[in-house]
Amino acid sequence: MRARTPIAVSLVLVLVPLLVAVFGPFVPLDAEPGLPYERGPGHPLGTDGLGRDVLQLLLAGGRTALGMALGAVAIAYLVGGLIGLVAASTRHRWLDELLIRPLDVLLPLPSLLVISVVAVGWRASALAITLAVAAVNVPTVARLVRAAALDAASSPVVEALRMQRESWFGIHLGYVGRAVLGPVAADIGTRITLAVFLVASVNFLGLGLSPTAADWAVSVSRNREGLLLQPWAVLAPALLLVAFTLGFNLLADRLVHRTRRMAEVSR
Amino acid sequence: MRAYAAQRAALAVLQLAVLSVLVFVLTSLLPGDAADMRFTETLTPEQVASLRAQLGLEQPAIERFVTWAGNVLSGDLGTSLISGGPVLDIVKASVGATLVLTLATLAVVVPLAVALGILMGTRENGRLDRTITSITLALSAIPDFVIAVVLVAVFSLKLGWLPATWVGGDLLANPVLLVLPVGVLLGRTVCLLSRQVRAGTINALHADYVVQARRLGVPRRRVLMRHVLPNAAVPGVQELARTGDTLLGGVLVVEAIFAIPGFATALVDGVETRDLPVVQGLTLVLAVAALVINLGADLVCNRLVPRTELLR
Repeated sequence: MRARTPIAVSLVLVLVPLLVAVFGPFVPLDAEPGLPYERGPGHPLGTDGLGRDVLQLLLAGGRTALGMALGAVAIAYLVGGLIGLVAASTRHRWLDELLIRPLDVLLPLPSLLVISVVAVGWRASALAITLAVAAVNVPTVARLVRAAALDAASSPVVEALRMQRESWFGIHLGYVGRAVLGPVAADIGTRITLAVFLVASVNFLGLGLSPTAADWAVSVSRNREGLLLQPWAVLAPALLLVAFTLGFNLLADRLVHRTRRMAEVSR
Repeated sequence: MRAYAAQRAALAVLQLAVLSVLVFVLTSLLPGDAADMRFTETLTPEQVASLRAQLGLEQPAIERFVTWAGNVLSGDLGTSLISGGPVLDIVKASVGATLVLTLATLAVVVPLAVALGILMGTRENGRLDRTITSITLALSAIPDFVIAVVLVAVFSLKLGWLPATWVGGDLLANPVLLVLPVGVLLGRTVCLLSRQVRAGTINALHADYVVQARRLGVPRRRVLMRHVLPNAAVPGVQELARTGDTLLGGVLVVEAIFAIPGFATALVDGVETRDLPVVQGLTLVLAVAALVINLGADLVCNRLVPRTELLR
C-alpha cells in the first residue's frame, strides 16, 4: 500500500479555512484603517490596497468564498442526485430517457460562461451565482448517481433481496442508496474543489461580488498589484482557498482508493 | 463505426438546436438591455423608447428568436448594439488570440500528460509514481488565478524576464508573450489528464489481453505501444473533452489577467454592456466548439476501442 498523507493533515487543511469562514465574522476585531499596503503594528498581516486590515478582511471574507461553493454542491446533489436515483430505479424506460437525455444535451455548455452571464445579469447576487454553479453541476451529478445506482441495482445482492421478497423501498433505499454513497462521497470532494474554483473565478474576474468585497478571491484580485509590496494581502486569502481545495482533493483521493479496494474485495 | 458516427452526429445536431435556444433564452433573461445600459444618464425616457424600437428590443422574445435563428442559419450573427459593426467581425477579431492560446497549451499539455501518465502507470505505486501523483494532486488544487498572480509577480515584476501583459502585436510573432499564460493554463490540465492516462494504463496493464500477450512473449515495448496505449488513451481522450471546459474557464481568467484581446475579453465586455447580439454570437460559437470537441472525442474513442457505446 502506498503511503498516503495522514488523514489528520487533510482534515486540518479543510477545517482551518472552514472555521475561519464560519466563525471569522464573529471575531470582534476593530482595526483602524491605515495606509494602502502598510505593514506594521496594529496590522499583523498588514493592510490591503484600500488601507483596510488584512486580518479583519480575511475573517469576514470566507463566508462567501466557501459558503457559495458548498451551497452550490449541496443544491446540485439535491437536484442531480434525485434525478439520478429516480432515473436508475424507475421501471419505465421512457422516464429514464426523459430525465437523462436533456442533461446529455446540456453537458457541453461551457460552465464558466453560464455562470458569468448569470452573475452579471443579477449583479452581485450571491444567490444567483450559487444557483448557477449548482445548475452547471446537475448534469454530471445526475449521470454519476444514475451510473452508480444502476451498478448496484444490477448486482446479485439485489437479485437475492428481490427473491427474499424485500420491499421496493427496502431494496432501493436500504441497499442501492447506501451503495451509491461511496462514489458520491469521492465525487463530492472533487466537486467542492471545482465549485470553489468556479465561484472564485467569477469573483476574480470582477463579474460577481463587488470589487471591494472582503471575499477571498476578490481580495486576491484586488491586491495583486501590491503582491511584492505587501504579499500577505494576496497570499493569506489565496493560502486559505488553496488549503481548503487541497484538503478536499486529498480526502477525495483517499475515498476513491477505498471504494476501489472495496470493489476489488467484493469481486 | 459508420453507424455509430451517424448516430453520434445526429445527436450533435439535436444538441446544437437545443443549445441555440438555451443561449438565446439565457441571454434574453439578463435584466436591463443595451438601450438603458448605454444612455440612461443622458437620454430622456422617450428617446430610450425610440432607440429600443429602432434596435428591435420591443418585439416579443419568440419573434426575436425566430429572426435571430434564421439569420444565424444564413451565416449572419447580427449587428452589435454598441459598436454597430457585424458580430461576425468581432468573432473573427477575437478568435485568433484565443485559438493560439488554446492550441499552444494543448500542444504542450497532451504529450506531457500522456508521457507522465504512462510513466506513472507503468511504475504503479513506485517511488516516481507516488512523487508525481502527489505533485499533480497538490497542483490541481490551486486555482488558475492564484498561479497567475504569483507567476506574474515573480517572473515579470520581480525578475523582469517576461512581459506581464499583452502590449499589442501578434501573439505568434512574439511567442515570449505566450510563456506565462500557457504556463498558467498548463497546471491543472496536465494534472487532470495525466491522472486519467495513469488510471487507463494501469487498467490496461492488468487486462487479460495484455497478460496473454506477455505470456506469448510479445516484446514489452510492442505490448505497451500496440495494446496498452490505445486502451489507456480512451479515458484520456474523454477527459480531454471534459478538460476543454476547465481550459475554457482558465482561458477566460488568463485573458483577463494578461489583457489578451481574445474571445473571453470580448465576451465579458459584451455581457457587461448588455450587447445581446455579441453575447449570443460568441456564446453560440463557443457552444458549437464544445460540441465539435465532444463529438470528435467520442469518434476518436470509438475508433480506438470500437466497443464504446453511444453515450452510456
